[in-house]
Amino acid sequence: MAKISTEEQPIIQLNNVTFRYPGAQSNSLEQVSLTINRGDFVAIAGSNGSGKSTLCKCFNGLIPTYYSGDMEGTVMIDGHLTSDRSVAELSKHVAYVFQDFENQLVRPTVYDEVCFAPLNFGFEDYKERGMLALQMLEIEHLQKEWIWQLSGGQKHMAALAAALALNPDVIVVDEPVAQLDPAHARIIYEKLKLLNEKYGKTIIVIEHHTEFIADYCRKIVLMETGGRIRWVKPVSEGLSSITTLNEMNILPPQVTQAFYALCSEQDKKLGALYPITIEEAVAHWAPLGISTSRTLTEPKHDLPIDRLTTPEPLVRLEGVTSGYQGIDRKQKPVLRGIDLDIYEGERIALIGNNGAGKSTLLRLISGIRRPWEGKVTVCGTDTRQTTPEQLSDQVAFLFQNPEEMFIADNIRQDVSYFLDARKQEGIDSFVDEVLERFKLTNLQERDGRLLSGGQQRRATLAIGMAMRPTIILLDEPTASLDIASRREMTLLFDQLHDHIKAVVVATHDMQLVADWATRVIVMNEGHILLDTDSRTVFQHTDILEKAALIAPQIVQLSGRLGIVPTCLSVDEFVAHMQDTSRKELSYGIS
Amino acid sequence: MELVEQTHKSTLWEKLSVERIKMELLRTAFGHSLTFLSKFDPRILIGWYSFFAIAPWFIHDKTVLIGMLLAIAILTYTSKPSVLVLIVLAFGLVTDTAYMLIVSLAFGGGLSAAWALSTLTLKLLVIALASIAVFSSIDPEKLSDALLSLGMPAQFSFGVAYGYRMLPILIEEYNNLLYSFRLRGRAPLRKGFLGYRSLIHIGKISILAFYPLILNTAKRTRTTVEALEVKGFTYAIKDPKVKRIKLAYLKILPRDYVFIAVSALYVALLFWMGSIINL
Repeated sequence: MAKISTEEQPIIQLNNVTFRYPGAQSNSLEQVSLTINRGDFVAIAGSNGSGKSTLCKCFNGLIPTYYSGDMEGTVMIDGHLTSDRSVAELSKHVAYVFQDFENQLVRPTVYDEVCFAPLNFGFEDYKERGMLALQMLEIEHLQKEWIWQLSGGQKHMAALAAALALNPDVIVVDEPVAQLDPAHARIIYEKLKLLNEKYGKTIIVIEHHTEFIADYCRKIVLMETGGRIRWVKPVSEGLSSITTLNEMNILPPQVTQAFYALCSEQDKKLGALYPITIEEAVAHWAPLGISTSRTLTEPKHDLPIDRLTTPEPLVRLEGVTSGYQGIDRKQKPVLRGIDLDIYEGERIALIGNNGAGKSTLLRLISGIRRPWEGKVTVCGTDTRQTTPEQLSDQVAFLFQNPEEMFIADNIRQDVSYFLDARKQEGIDSFVDEVLERFKLTNLQERDGRLLSGGQQRRATLAIGMAMRPTIILLDEPTASLDIASRREMTLLFDQLHDHIKAVVVATHDMQLVADWATRVIVMNEGHILLDTDSRTVFQHTDILEKAALIAPQIVQLSGRLGIVPTCLSVDEFVAHMQDTSRKELSYGIS
Repeated sequence: MELVEQTHKSTLWEKLSVERIKMELLRTAFGHSLTFLSKFDPRILIGWYSFFAIAPWFIHDKTVLIGMLLAIAILTYTSKPSVLVLIVLAFGLVTDTAYMLIVSLAFGGGLSAAWALSTLTLKLLVIALASIAVFSSIDPEKLSDALLSLGMPAQFSFGVAYGYRMLPILIEEYNNLLYSFRLRGRAPLRKGFLGYRSLIHIGKISILAFYPLILNTAKRTRTTVEALEVKGFTYAIKDPKVKRIKLAYLKILPRDYVFIAVSALYVALLFWMGSIINL
């Protein structure tokens, strides 16, 4: 863990702050008093709409200078009142990385971006300042890159570097994990840790992924609906308050959940501290001598379909090579020589690092792309011989960004668009049913863009469902969702499966892989590295590492404890532990 | 990688694919390595370009115009322009010439009338090629700084650079929106005479796809505006010092003067030749 500053020196002080956005019905912050010390690493957690982002916008003066709502109370940054200073002046002290960080990048190249703020403030040495920021994050190699060519993780890094260029004391990062895959999110956190430990920066993150909070933060601020602060606690204590966290819809780390489930009622009442990181959990359980072999209670679904008896695959790729033309006019293959069969009844998770070719594979199946070499057959049709329009009767493709799918005036019209275009009669009751199933009935008159992230994903699923496809393809359907919405999505996927013959999901969400998939395909650099089931995939740590994937915490824990076969969920782990202790008990009696 | 050309029906979509247009546009905007013209100061280039964009309108001497065309065609070649831009230009040229021929023949003017009308084509060609040569050689940042230096408002020059930043993202999004329309809509079953039904359908959804694009962009702007505030942009446009620091790297070197001098001499030479040779 990081060294703790010897002197407790407050850098941010909020005193009874109440804030209401202009025109809003209720306060976004209510009587908030909070002190953050120099050099601290603080997480701000809370359910949606608890005013986390609003709180952070008080730190850099966007509130009240830029948003002139009703504000009471005082905010002091480094001993100065924010109300007396301009946003620009304050940004020399407090840097802010937005949740939709892509939109805060305003310049064509990384170098221009990092030099932009120091230049605007008239620093003669703006180039050195920009370069210094890149050096602090160790991303000098990105200097000349065009912003639009960067991956999501690199863009986040560029936004962070640009914020650092003014050498601020405080860095606020709004939900770094939301838009990034876990491996990249971990890289960002490692950099934040570096900034905190090496350069003494105060770091504030808005975060509800408790596993990251446990690994990196020192304090946790819990906010509740209505913009109040419930409490501020050291992380180990905060994450052990399981009941409060559950109340706020925040999921504690998996190891903590497991420990809590195994605790006796008496222990829970004592309010002891639970293990919150893998290391702590291993330290706790390893000496207990847990039985490492376990029997699977569920039927083993290694390959759900007996392929010998299945007549025809739904989708067949034979020696497929495809890619795009680079800016230098060279052909850049993304997929090389892919052979793949997809059968009825399969739930496939396509995993792998960015640029591994997942999206290209989905696009080939949907017919949007055609192979350079080889052959793609979908439901008996060669995709070269048909158009994507004709294939869309069989295949629904849901894009990664829901906003690219909202093409009608409201959700209802979006859902019925496909059927309307085919001049189908009497579709109203069917559309009603789909809306109802995806809990969109009350939102059907709204424009898709104005919905929350979780609602948007539900809407795209409804759109796909209303197309009544044979195969549905989803690109990153759980990206940027909070945990509650993510769980809900997994449930909805189960529903999809009753109606659709095969589902293919490209994802970074290992929890989804563990909970839902029956077949997992790991891709790397245009090849299929591994094609197996979800239990087996997590045993190949070398392959996971190569594809920049991180197994769910409970899978890692059972790996560290040597439990075979691996536990895929907290429930499985808890069941195994209870089983062990029951056996021990029976030994004791005999 | 060797591409095996397979026999498959290439649809109108593939010929007109947004992806292809995107690649070509990106190449025009970002793909320039060092070209001959990119060595010069961007302000000089803008000045140079203004001459070749305006002067041809007032020149009627074909010798001069052809001379200009020759020089500019060579410069265009050195600036490695995108094929798409050239194709669009050639298409315009061919239809223009064909139209003139038809009109002059139909109205009894004969080839001599067409020859007379071709002066205009020549002028347009000089201007078009000059634009291609210059704008595919200046990189967006330099263009934006040159404009600022020539006295354009900071918002405008920022807008130019920001446009370059957003362009690829907007095209990508437009492409996906277009796919949404295609995959969820219905292309006409019968293509109609010369595929006119398909063309109408494509035209219609190509326009419709702009609406969601505009709405999505509007939604994004909030963060961008907040970020500009945080990065001190509004503060900087009032500060002349910032402009001075920002533009300090723009320097007019001897080679810039040489370039201008050579160009001026060449044009003078053309006028002299024009007075001798009469086309």
